[in-house]
Amino acid sequence: MKPASLEYVRPRSMEEALAVLSDETANAKIFAGGQSLGPMLNLRLTRPAKLVDIRHIPELKAVRADARLCSIGATFTHAELEDGAIEDFTRGLLPYVARGIAYRAVRNRGTVGGSLAHADPAADWVSTMAAIDATIVIRGQAGERRVPAQQFLAGAFTTELGDTELLTAVELPRFSAAARWGYYKVCRKTGEFAKAIGLAIQDPKIGLFRILAGSPEGRPALLTRSAETLATRGAEHAARDAREEIEEVLPNLAPAHRQQLIAAVQRSLGQILLVEAA
Amino acid sequence: MLSVSLTVNGRPVTATVEPRTQLCELLREDLNLTGTHVGCEQGVCGACTVVVDGKPQRSCISYAGDSDGCSVITIEGFDDDALMEQLRDAFSRHHALQCGFCTPGMLVTARDIILRLGETGAARIREELSGNLCRCTGYVGIVEAIEEVSKGKVARAPQTVVAAIEGTVAVRPVDAPMKPAVPPNRPAAPTASAGVGARKGWSSIEQRLAVGFPPEIVWNRLSDIRQVSFCLPGAEITELQDDRVRGRMNVSLGPIKVALNGDGNVLLDAENRIGRLSGRGQDAGSGSSAEGEVEWRVLPGEASGSLILVNLSWRLSGRLAQFNRAGIVQDVIQRLASIFVTNLESSLKGEAIDETSIKPLGIWSLMLGVIRIRVARWRGRNA
Repeated sequence: MKPASLEYVRPRSMEEALAVLSDETANAKIFAGGQSLGPMLNLRLTRPAKLVDIRHIPELKAVRADARLCSIGATFTHAELEDGAIEDFTRGLLPYVARGIAYRAVRNRGTVGGSLAHADPAADWVSTMAAIDATIVIRGQAGERRVPAQQFLAGAFTTELGDTELLTAVELPRFSAAARWGYYKVCRKTGEFAKAIGLAIQDPKIGLFRILAGSPEGRPALLTRSAETLATRGAEHAARDAREEIEEVLPNLAPAHRQQLIAAVQRSLGQILLVEAA
Repeated sequence: MLSVSLTVNGRPVTATVEPRTQLCELLREDLNLTGTHVGCEQGVCGACTVVVDGKPQRSCISYAGDSDGCSVITIEGFDDDALMEQLRDAFSRHHALQCGFCTPGMLVTARDIILRLGETGAARIREELSGNLCRCTGYVGIVEAIEEVSKGKVARAPQTVVAAIEGTVAVRPVDAPMKPAVPPNRPAAPTASAGVGARKGWSSIEQRLAVGFPPEIVWNRLSDIRQVSFCLPGAEITELQDDRVRGRMNVSLGPIKVALNGDGNVLLDAENRIGRLSGRGQDAGSGSSAEGEVEWRVLPGEASGSLILVNLSWRLSGRLAQFNRAGIVQDVIQRLASIFVTNLESSLKGEAIDETSIKPLGIWSLMLGVIRIRVARWRGRNA
């Protein structure tokens, strides 16, 4: 229950961090908060030779915004988002999601970028960023590249991120005042990883209509047909279509689990209906 | 060794420790502050919760190196804290502790709840306390104590908002992913079903793969275990004699890297085109072992192609077993299956296998007498 021997490095700049990571033989692992990595280290399921603590790089804690997009640095903690430490670009969605992640003591350390890079498919940000149509910003020694969040995850614990690269920021569309969203997660216990995540977003002003079913198995599924229904006929019709679409796009799931996903998605759409009715 | 300087309960402390030292170890073993209790050591139970730079954090998944420069307050550091005094008193009156193991973490969390939220109802307190486990199940008294102390308290002012730098955010268009993402259901006839096998502690999954070559060719290739291993990144056969096979399988799944060494038995029924391999492997690093069995049948498929029916069953033991999340195994198997089919087809066509497109993780490891997949199952924590 103690980590294998390792070295600890604390780069103070992006260049320094990338230089450490560029040595592919170094078996270095980025440490962005360590709330998933820590247990794996303690159990020696992972044995990196070097921990690269990126929490002291000012650039990774920057917020940038324009009228259309906003960019959040990778090392903002879940608790900081929960507390509204950065301007709320998403009409309350990010703080709401953040509050449901694990426990406060974990949220005080765990970071958005760390969670995305770790890529446990049951984690909240993996699904949220895909649903929000966010873009993941990746920096390597060759420069910067951007990957749509829904393509970032190839599968469980497997992402677009190369070993020598750093996830630096997430770019999100700025929601309009007309935006409505619903987020519902099925957990056996508060703070546990989700069994199923349902997420629905409608923002007619910026043309964003998205419905997502997130499950602990792998890539979250965007329900494109139901999202179209959401745009044209509203949340109630979309909830009906979602059942069919989930059965279609996730045929491999056990029926009971599929039902959890259907319930999560339908409840997220129900939250939109409730806001509209109020 | 690493030299770290931090402030513990208001006093400067310098220590020379191994970088892997957990913060709770540093506190307990080096500084003799044994009020911090160590329970699960995986961030679940909350017994080790201490205040780091004003915020409660888990000291079992914080390390000496990353605590360098921090200010830490342990349960011993709250003697003169007015709010903690009220909490201690309320905990006593409400019988909010029995064995006392969870109490230091409970108190640290309780203090944070009241500071952040002010007067709070029982339901929210329970939600906020969900990361602290009491195995005496004394939650009723704990919640009552916190609720009582919170009466009339006012929430701390919210923290300042980090201002956004105005300017254009995305100056460059979105790039295409480096490698094509494998669609989740790509295997031609996706009819896998995960389930618990008839044998106790075993899980199993069935997978169908369509391959564009006639059954006899596919069967021949699958009968050649060495050839099969080439389609499988991370796999290596070290010995093959009659029906005995020895090999190695490097599996990497995110930060988890496992090297399984093992052996197995191969059984080939050419007449019915059924093969079976059973084996067991061990990973010295994680102290885990795996045993598994794979059965494959080659059937005629559509348009003179073949259908490979694969049934996998496995059992993990040791530390890896704690992380065996069946659903993820299924996802990994599906992704690997599509990579395997691509490689098998390339191999049948005599083309080179694109080794760069694949990360070395292994389901087909089973076929090699070594084995399989393991994965994280933890509750409640994102990186």
